[in-house]
Amino acid sequence: MTATTPRPDVTGSHHTSSLGDDAFAGEPDDPRVQLDRDLGVFEPVPPYPPRTEREAEFYTLRDGEMFLNMGPQHPSTHGVLRVVLKLDGEKVVDLDPVLGYLHRGVEKLCENADYHHSIAYLDPLEYVSSLFCEWPGVMAFEKLLDVQVPRRAEYIRVLSAELNRIASHSLFLGWMALDLGGLTPILWSFIERDTIVEMLASLTGQRMLFNYFRIGGVNGDLNHEFMSRLGDWMSHATEQVEAGNTLLNENEIFVRRMRGLGKIDSKTALRMTMSGPNLRATGVPFDMRRAHPYSAYPELDFDIPTRQEGDCLARYLLRMDEIKQSLRIIDQCLHQMPDGPVMAKLPRLLRPRPGRAYAGIEAPRGQYAVYAISDGTDQPFRMRIHDPSFLHLQSVGLMMPGHLVADTMAIMASLDPIMGGVDK
Amino acid sequence: MDRSFKARLERRFGDQLTGPVRQRHDETEVRIGPGDVVPVITALHDEPEFSFEFLADLCGVDTGEVMQVVYHLWSPTTPDWLRVIADGLSREDPRVPSVTFMWKGAEWMEREAYDMFGITFEGNRDLRRIYMPPDYQSFPLRKDFYLADDAARSPGAGVRPMEQTHVPRDTVATGKVRRLSPGT
Repeated sequence: MTATTPRPDVTGSHHTSSLGDDAFAGEPDDPRVQLDRDLGVFEPVPPYPPRTEREAEFYTLRDGEMFLNMGPQHPSTHGVLRVVLKLDGEKVVDLDPVLGYLHRGVEKLCENADYHHSIAYLDPLEYVSSLFCEWPGVMAFEKLLDVQVPRRAEYIRVLSAELNRIASHSLFLGWMALDLGGLTPILWSFIERDTIVEMLASLTGQRMLFNYFRIGGVNGDLNHEFMSRLGDWMSHATEQVEAGNTLLNENEIFVRRMRGLGKIDSKTALRMTMSGPNLRATGVPFDMRRAHPYSAYPELDFDIPTRQEGDCLARYLLRMDEIKQSLRIIDQCLHQMPDGPVMAKLPRLLRPRPGRAYAGIEAPRGQYAVYAISDGTDQPFRMRIHDPSFLHLQSVGLMMPGHLVADTMAIMASLDPIMGGVDK
Repeated sequence: MDRSFKARLERRFGDQLTGPVRQRHDETEVRIGPGDVVPVITALHDEPEFSFEFLADLCGVDTGEVMQVVYHLWSPTTPDWLRVIADGLSREDPRVPSVTFMWKGAEWMEREAYDMFGITFEGNRDLRRIYMPPDYQSFPLRKDFYLADDAARSPGAGVRPMEQTHVPRDTVATGKVRRLSPGT
């Protein structure tokens, strides 16, 4: 806005437009101060000398190379992530993710809240699969308290969590295509996701951050509305999932672009501490539900799909296979659902005896874990949240070199990181 | 709880353990000195008797007295989680060898522990802050770091660590630091 443009008086009382524009000069709430300020750009190279070996190596350009800053506000980074790319022409040589734009200090908050409150802080971490964020938290606290969770509660947990896994994977399908430039699949996958999310809302009361699991059980028993919605959806779920798959699986542009992109082998994946679908896409049948059984999973029958290629296409197809297994699990849960209470009897104020507990589960993105230490008070002494997205984002650097700038988005999308979890 | 696993650990690492091997629920816990991290982790990973190939988690812990680095490992040879605690790091200058030679993916977890606790991992090629801005000075997850919060003005001010905000800078708030009883 130029100084001569007429401007409405927004600051109220004693400022009137008759005083002219200079009346605002120097005022702290002068609107021009905000409007005329240069918004600034993110310089890819930090304004200080390199502090580590790796930083020095990355921020040194060889002949013909250049830096490109991507983010923190970029449509393809699934949140606020900044990536500095080192390019040679259109080829990516190296990249350096810069995190922390969404850091909220959840671990510290949990250490200053009591045990029940901490659970509520966990939901917004991986906000598309909230139930999986709560689960290791409540599991770790149950271990600290030596609580036995009622069997019905375990089944309800598995049932709702597997629904959430399908919702998360469907959304992945849409995002993945969106990052490759296809608009249609996200519209379809949102239909799928919304059906599930509405279903879970009738069970938990919320659409996104369910806050449903409690220490010792779940917040409420299955209700009629949830069961009827679930029944409706289950009758055509397989069909619908198949329809979504054919939209992309038989799309030649999609398949040819994804095949061989962002390859990683099983040994490197283990060294990069990857887990979940991204590790299984390299051929390692490692799934927490079988590797370290918890909850009701030992009683359920399902397969662990793996793929050998370790590229973007394998990661995508593997998630589609997982949806089918989740449907199997949900079906079994409904048939085997035991009767009984859904909450263990616990006092309102929890004071576990001093000790340590670790709980890891298989979330849609890999091993989600919480490590809790109790010092005998009503607040956790230490609450470590282990997020798989964080580690997967780290290995983008290994998969990227040699691919094109446009492929960074495809590779990142295929790893399915959620920045809420990465930045904690 | 895998009793035979406890015996195996005691037999193999007997002289390197700084405390008893403890077991609770599905977890087995060993404590070692920071100097023994590399040989112990290498043995746990490489020896077929243990073959801990999967690093489940790495994090720092501030007990109020000392710093610890905690590794959680998974192996097909035991149904338990193995928790390796590198114990007794000084709070003034905590140092521990990096495990990035074994798991490259530990790099970011070590960066996080450095960012939050100020633990120096010797051998990590990229030990800089990861969440906090590069010019940040404090280590937020340390127990003498208080949250600034309006709760300080509440009737219960000063009862809980979160509410004890107005501690002058550069003061060693020893009396108010939450401590973990030794051996927990």
